[in-house]
Amino acid sequence: MPGAAPETSPEASAVKVSLWDPGEDVVQVQRAPAPGALRSAWRAFRETARGLRTTFGRIAEGPVTMEYPEEKVPVYPRFRGRHKLHRFEDTGLEKCVGCSLCAAACPADCIRVVAAENTPENRVSPGERYAAVYEINLSRCIFCGYCEVACPFDAITMGHEYELSSYDRSDLIFTKEMLLAEPLERAPLRNEGE
Amino acid sequence: MITFTIDGREVRAPENAMLVDAAKHGDVEIPVFCYEPKLGNPVGACRMCLVEIEGIPKLQTGCSTPAKDGMVVHTQSERARVAQQAVVEFLLINHPLDCPVCDKGGECPLQDITFGWGAGTSRFIEPKRHFVKPLALSERIAIDRERCILCYRCVRFSQEISEDNQLVLVERGAHSYVATFDGHPYEATFTGNIIELCPVGALTSRPYRFRARPWDIEDAGSVCTLCPSQCNVTLTVRDERVIRVLARDNGEVDDGWLCDRGRFAYPALGGLPATAAALADAPAAAENGAGRITEPMIRDGGQLRVVSWERAMTEAVAGLRRAGERVGAIAGGQATNEEGLLLARLMREGAGSPHVDSRAAGTLELELHLALNEPRLQARVSDLEFAHAVLVLEGDPIRDAPILDLRLRKGVRRHGMKLIRATREELLAGPRELADKLAGAGEEIVVLWAERLTAGPDGSRAAAALLELADALSLGDVEGAGLLEIPAHTNGRGLREAGVLPNAGPGLSDPAATGDASPTGRDAAGIAEELAAGELTGLYLLQSDPLLEPADREVWERALERAATVVAHASFLTEGIREHADVVFPSEAYAEKEGTITHPDGRLQRLRPAVAHPGSIRAEWSVIVELASRLGLDLEVLTGAMASAQLFESVPFYAGLTLEEIGGKGVRWQEREAAGAYPTREQLV
Repeated sequence: MPGAAPETSPEASAVKVSLWDPGEDVVQVQRAPAPGALRSAWRAFRETARGLRTTFGRIAEGPVTMEYPEEKVPVYPRFRGRHKLHRFEDTGLEKCVGCSLCAAACPADCIRVVAAENTPENRVSPGERYAAVYEINLSRCIFCGYCEVACPFDAITMGHEYELSSYDRSDLIFTKEMLLAEPLERAPLRNEGE
Repeated sequence: MITFTIDGREVRAPENAMLVDAAKHGDVEIPVFCYEPKLGNPVGACRMCLVEIEGIPKLQTGCSTPAKDGMVVHTQSERARVAQQAVVEFLLINHPLDCPVCDKGGECPLQDITFGWGAGTSRFIEPKRHFVKPLALSERIAIDRERCILCYRCVRFSQEISEDNQLVLVERGAHSYVATFDGHPYEATFTGNIIELCPVGALTSRPYRFRARPWDIEDAGSVCTLCPSQCNVTLTVRDERVIRVLARDNGEVDDGWLCDRGRFAYPALGGLPATAAALADAPAAAENGAGRITEPMIRDGGQLRVVSWERAMTEAVAGLRRAGERVGAIAGGQATNEEGLLLARLMREGAGSPHVDSRAAGTLELELHLALNEPRLQARVSDLEFAHAVLVLEGDPIRDAPILDLRLRKGVRRHGMKLIRATREELLAGPRELADKLAGAGEEIVVLWAERLTAGPDGSRAAAALLELADALSLGDVEGAGLLEIPAHTNGRGLREAGVLPNAGPGLSDPAATGDASPTGRDAAGIAEELAAGELTGLYLLQSDPLLEPADREVWERALERAATVVAHASFLTEGIREHADVVFPSEAYAEKEGTITHPDGRLQRLRPAVAHPGSIRAEWSVIVELASRLGLDLEVLTGAMASAQLFESVPFYAGLTLEEIGGKGVRWQEREAAGAYPTREQLV
């Protein structure tokens, strides 16, 4: 009744002084009458049979479920899993120069870079600067891959690792050493055309 | 005003404004590298601002062509665009494009202009010019010559602004590079400004080297309190640390420049240690801000020991109770007006002692204070530039307030100002004669005098002579003329006006006039004498160490030795604090402070906290308020803003001010209506 004030009896308003009156917002749910015992038993049998028809109809195809922790779904080559930092293969120097462009590109703001200067005694990367601190908070990462796109030196790439659960939040902050280390390739790669 | 057309828009602009500036009136941007109005006349070195002007066959530089009535300018025409793209391509021929490792990356005009006006491609495939890099131009500046685009800004700064004449361009053509003669380090007072002037990453700050990128940081506006010039600064903050200090342009204070002390002293404020090497050597020291006091301490068996705030407070209150009325207080120059006001109230109302001082030079009679600070006699900082003559009395601006030195040089170089120096002896010998000497220079004369002119036993005589000089030159009646004092300490003027003087209350009021017939207190020197003689037993030091003052060291040593209780707010364990303080409260650095300070020309400026307090440091005002409440005095201050409100209420000529009104640029109280409440000499008599 738009425009019309809801009618309330003086007694009702006197009783429910502080209670919220739902007025016409209340929705009455109408339920079907409860079936009898015989009809219920028939309905349960009929529905079970309908389900089993599908099961027995596909039984020749064999199982498609995988026993996950023992068996793993192979990932596509462009799957974006846990990040990896890279070194030059010849010199062993880190590719990352600590430019922070990944941190700038990151929409989840989960990368922290603190740069420092290379010295002749302590040369970490080929350029003038290197990342003294490189942390990715993987509990915040959305695996969008923008860091990989932003990196001018291909120092960071998205790997295939997706088993990242942990008992401790702080374990999900990956440091430079963890990202540089060769990861255990636990996820199998999907073959061409598979 | 003239009307001209730029990119098809009718634009009204001031006549003879350069096209680059005039175009901004019509929201048209002409890209520039070398043009910087602060550096004086344009040089047209970078050719980035080429525009097409109808009726002129060749393209013209927008930075050095004045706008004329009826001019038709195109910045987007085919010819102009080709020229802009060519200039960008040309500048990038030798630019190394190492943006990812360059500290300028992200805040670099060359990046921005290449993106906005460049072609996006280059035809240049030959090897680039190479230099050894990075080289140290000085202890604080790194130079990367490969990145230099030869815009001349740094050289012009050195030659025409700071006039140290150390930077030059050597060699010619593509081989030119910026250098000092014979490779000497570039050492002067204002060298850091060339870092900010450089439009590329050729000149970078060594302490800031690789500390952060522009998207890692936050900027916080504040005011540098390291000297009385009180330059406006922008503090760059990363991870609750000040990692860089930049100039913040305020034409009435600093003209957009900053001295090296203000720019590079921040590691001592609890930021980072000066070099990465120091960081590696002393990680623990870096953690604690290299020697900064961050915890309260008390003297225990002759040694200072870190204790809890509760313990330190109890100790301080007990000490102040024992001393009772026999306590003196000294506020150091970096204290804010609010801290000064609250300290004076703590002493006068809480302890019942009138011995409060902030002046190192000794106290003048109230009448002389009032006369010297009379609103109509006060010159502004910008008056230094436009005056016919400036008399520097007994001061050395480059040491006392460096930024004023640049202003004086600007006045002499660009406006033909006459600079005259005189000593205290010359003033005392005859202010009238001195006035006669100046009279020929013109009407608008500014006398820049240092507080130490009025120090010592015949300080009053010097002050009287200064007033006579002002009177003879009728400084009070000429617009653009006046006196400008350089106080001995940063906030000398503000502390005086807040009533941190033995012979004046807030607003330079006469304490006798307020009814409580409290005897006039002793000044700093007097406090020292009485402490040494045992007349006073307690001393309260607010960010002050008397042993660092040049005057009366011997008396102060005896005084501190004899004092039963010394309560100190301090940031560092300087000699007086380390040897003599009984209770030490850790004190804030200016980047952490909240409050107001007063510029020597009467401009109230606002300090805003940029970083959190390190360690367990508390705001100074809250420590004073808690001490007062433990001594049974409610100062009625719960927040920093309440302290400011109380200040504006207590000082009659600050009446009605708000922190919002002060804002980022400050407000001169002499220019407000409340200045009429300034106590006159007649009221005193």
